[in-house]
Amino acid sequence: MAAAAETVAPGGRPLSGRSSRSRLADPVFQYGLGVIAALVLVLIGFFFVFLFGKAQPALAHQGVLSFVFTNDWNPSKEIFGGWPLVAGTLITSVIALVIGVPVAVATALYINELCPRRLRSPLTMLVELLAAVPSVVYGLWGVYVIIPALKPVQQWAADTFSFVPFVGGTVAGPSYFVAGLILAIMILPIVSAISREVIATVPPDLKEAALALGATRWEMLRMSVLPYSRSGIVGASMLGLGRAIGETIAVTLVIGNASVLGQQVFDQGYSLAAVIANEFGEAANDKLHSGALIAAGLVLFVLTLIINAAARGLVLRAEHRAAGSAA
Amino acid sequence: VNSIKALAVSSAAVLALGVAACGSSNSDPSASASGSSSSPAVTLNGAGSTFAAPIYQQVANDLKGKGITENYQAVGSGAGVSQFTAGTVDFAGSDPSLKDEEISALKKGAPVEIPFAFGAITVSYKLGGVKSGLKLDGKTIADIYLGRVKKWNDAEIAAQNAGVKLPATDITVVHRSDSSGTTKGFTDFMSRYSPEWKNGPGVDKDIKWPTGTGAKGNDGVAAAVKQTDGAIGYVEQAYALQNNFTFASVKNKSGKYIAPTLASTSAAGNGISIPADLRISVIDAPGADAYPVTSQTFAIAYKDPCKAGLSKAKAQGLKTMLGYLVGDGQATIQKLSYAKIPSALQQKATTVIDGMQCNGAALSGS
Repeated sequence: MAAAAETVAPGGRPLSGRSSRSRLADPVFQYGLGVIAALVLVLIGFFFVFLFGKAQPALAHQGVLSFVFTNDWNPSKEIFGGWPLVAGTLITSVIALVIGVPVAVATALYINELCPRRLRSPLTMLVELLAAVPSVVYGLWGVYVIIPALKPVQQWAADTFSFVPFVGGTVAGPSYFVAGLILAIMILPIVSAISREVIATVPPDLKEAALALGATRWEMLRMSVLPYSRSGIVGASMLGLGRAIGETIAVTLVIGNASVLGQQVFDQGYSLAAVIANEFGEAANDKLHSGALIAAGLVLFVLTLIINAAARGLVLRAEHRAAGSAA
Repeated sequence: VNSIKALAVSSAAVLALGVAACGSSNSDPSASASGSSSSPAVTLNGAGSTFAAPIYQQVANDLKGKGITENYQAVGSGAGVSQFTAGTVDFAGSDPSLKDEEISALKKGAPVEIPFAFGAITVSYKLGGVKSGLKLDGKTIADIYLGRVKKWNDAEIAAQNAGVKLPATDITVVHRSDSSGTTKGFTDFMSRYSPEWKNGPGVDKDIKWPTGTGAKGNDGVAAAVKQTDGAIGYVEQAYALQNNFTFASVKNKSGKYIAPTLASTSAAGNGISIPADLRISVIDAPGADAYPVTSQTFAIAYKDPCKAGLSKAKAQGLKTMLGYLVGDGQATIQKLSYAKIPSALQQKATTVIDGMQCNGAALSGS
């Protein structure tokens, strides 16, 4: 601050002439914001430490690797092998991505590039409205509408495509597939919103150049828009994945909650978030069981952290490239 | 006395309790002046059993007239007991009685555990063409839930149901996915008749199910059973009645097949030995007319609530509530499709409630 006091502001008024109160405002503002920002980090750190502390009894009992990779979740026998949960979480999330991302990107492309200008904002709003539906509503819709409606379809698909790996068997109704389908609808708004932003950054000269060279609209989208926005779309998908991994109640209602690892896409399964929702209420008195559920939360936390970090990296790379080509 | 009475009436009016509050103070002239001035404005907080939650809600309505406001959080028996132990609620609702180690964890004195209602766990199913109640014994139910009996026309089922034409439909097993006292009661029953179940999946609030779909809550199981032809699931009686389910008659300890009705559920309380602390379990009861898959629910409070930090008025309110649960409230309980407790148990419970104290002094009658 000593150096700053000597300098003269552009207006010609020496800074040292200002009241001490106004000189104080700047550092107070800076440190104030710094403290608030740091609080968020402290909170996450505290969160991690807290989870780890509470999960400790179960992790010590079971072993960290065994907790994640053993295929045997049996709380009443005090065996906490969470692999069916971890696998179920990943399987449903991947199904959600496989179904949801193409639809989301197609929606984004249509809204940005093809749809009549008049329809653009109502359509955007409608897609974003999907994000406003509470997840329990999606879950109940799954239980009462989707599962009965899709049961014959799933059985048909399982019988017809039984030559494909992980397809076949007897269909019970609730399944990884139904959970993935519901999740796909739930991640649609976020993936399509970010994809739209990314697609909007494609420089018009690129598109015009493609059109000038005689490309059709589809070729223009395929050759200039999609390659340019690819990493941004991947980042958007990762954020969607983060959303899908943590989804609790909708998945709990439609996944079947079977702690036996399913062999087929149409089998029932379990997920990390669902097991916490199901078992926590009565586990409060049992340090080991509640520890195991908190450990499940910890695994979920770490998974989400990894995915979000990867997503940020990809989005950053996309922004870099956008900035690079704009210069 | 006049001014106190006027005060009571005006404060009651302020509290918008209106006619009901006046009615209660009029109808209870024997209560001392201090009793009537302290009886409005008592709030009792409880938490626990989801099974008994509808009862607590209705009883809260009934007790408003007595100046008691009762709040109940249906968080599950286990969570209710741990909140009670931590001292954040005044009473707990729990389906099983407290375990010995849970009692010794109570730092503020001995508890009273009052069983006040029974509930049948029905074995409900949806099977096209079979309307009348099938007969099933414990071993068959266990074999179905073990995944051994896979079709409805299996010899094991057919042997108990001579004359019923059983279709060859696949059995779809549905169970609870959330931790639940209902699951504990149901698995407890199966383990008594199936050593394979006892040594395999075992008895607990949540177990590793060998087969089937897990659905969240009674309503989740009910929805799943309703949707699937050939589905079987265990739900509490109220839910089975609500959904017009057909349910099985289950073979009891004395060898009779009994359908779950309010009378056969109450009968589970006959013929069991009732210990002085009332910690009963009515699963697989010996009575000839007893429905075997029956569970009970307890209201748990401190024997001396004042020593646990409650005011005398609150202790009085608790006693009133418990007395109502095993007394006049039994009619309410039946209206809600729960079974009332048999009179022998009712008498013993009343004795225990009468023994409640405030700092060592007896509480006045409810």
